[in-house]
Amino acid sequence: MALPGALLTPVESTAPLDAAAQARLIGLVALNQDRQAFALLFKHFAPRLKSFHLRAGLSDAAAEELAQETMILLWRKAARFDPACAGAATWVFTITRNLRTDHARRRIQAEVEALPEADPAASAEAIYMSGERAEMMRGALAALSTEQRRVIELSFFADTPHAAIATALHLPLGTVKSRIRLALARLRDALGAEP
Amino acid sequence: MSIQHHPTDDTLLRFAAGALNAGLTLVTEAHLHVCAQCRARLGEFEATGGALLDEQPPAALAPTAFADVLARLDGPAVAVRPPVPPANSDMPAVLAGCEIGRWWWLGRGIRYSQVRLPWAPEANVMLLRVAANRAVFPHTHAAHELTQILRGGYSDCTGTYGPGDMADADDTLLHQPWADAEGCLCLAALEGPMRLDGWLGRWQRRLGLY
Repeated sequence: MALPGALLTPVESTAPLDAAAQARLIGLVALNQDRQAFALLFKHFAPRLKSFHLRAGLSDAAAEELAQETMILLWRKAARFDPACAGAATWVFTITRNLRTDHARRRIQAEVEALPEADPAASAEAIYMSGERAEMMRGALAALSTEQRRVIELSFFADTPHAAIATALHLPLGTVKSRIRLALARLRDALGAEP
Repeated sequence: MSIQHHPTDDTLLRFAAGALNAGLTLVTEAHLHVCAQCRARLGEFEATGGALLDEQPPAALAPTAFADVLARLDGPAVAVRPPVPPANSDMPAVLAGCEIGRWWWLGRGIRYSQVRLPWAPEANVMLLRVAANRAVFPHTHAAHELTQILRGGYSDCTGTYGPGDMADADDTLLHQPWADAEGCLCLAALEGPMRLDGWLGRWQRRLGLY
């Protein structure tokens, strides 16, 4: 018997999915267990998840396994995705973060899944807004200075306290902290959030 | 509940990045549970993580990756256990699943209970009860400490803390919290061991409580 997904194998290269498309596809997975939608999500997210974990210093095998496990949880938890709360990439990021963190992973095994499911038919407006927010965040990140971007990336990619970031960059701890503070303030301004 | 004291940006950013230990994560969750302002701040930091993920250059996957994932989609679901209510209804929802140990006398008007996290037995988490108008002995911390006020409140050199407030302290703080007229119940987690200064600390260490 052919693999169930043989025809869906996401090999052809197309443009990356935009945030609204990501949210719509997750909605289709939640609603219909749509494997075609899942294939497109896999094609977009799995190689980026692996890349993300490789950058965080994991081995190729560990990054590959985390990328795959994240996609499996995306499939299983799709009904909990609520575009009114977070963008699709943000939601996928939190799944993979929890899988990477050892204590969070063990907790998932014992997780009390008490959260109500999101409305499976998310409104077009919520999907649109979630796409808009993701675009704003992308723009805000792009507008950071090189130094600010570096400390933010290290906060996410290096699983280390700021003191270790300071050592890695040969900077005083105070400088790292103030760079992070400035970078966060700029991101916040760009998002138009309350201070 | 009017919350005046919040986790720092550093703490929330590390929470967002998954870089806090299990104990600090739990206490931060207790705060997030009651603080919409911090949930919104966390949302921004997580969105930063999402944007970084989304702009990664794609890495090459194993040739069979997609087929392997499809084959595992319908495998055993993630285990879901029935909710375990916290042992005491006064306790915050984040303590569901935790084991709250017996209460130890720690000085006049002060009791503490070690909280065990089954998913992270090494975590250093405790509940601390201070009777009305009592002071905790002066102490410093070896590293990062988070304290979430569950009931009552206290004051120290950094201000007055009430229900919902979080004290986010590092190793530069030497403080002596005084419970207010209601007393104080709080949930605390440490990155390193707490250092008690003075005779009581030496006595506690001799008893092996710390």
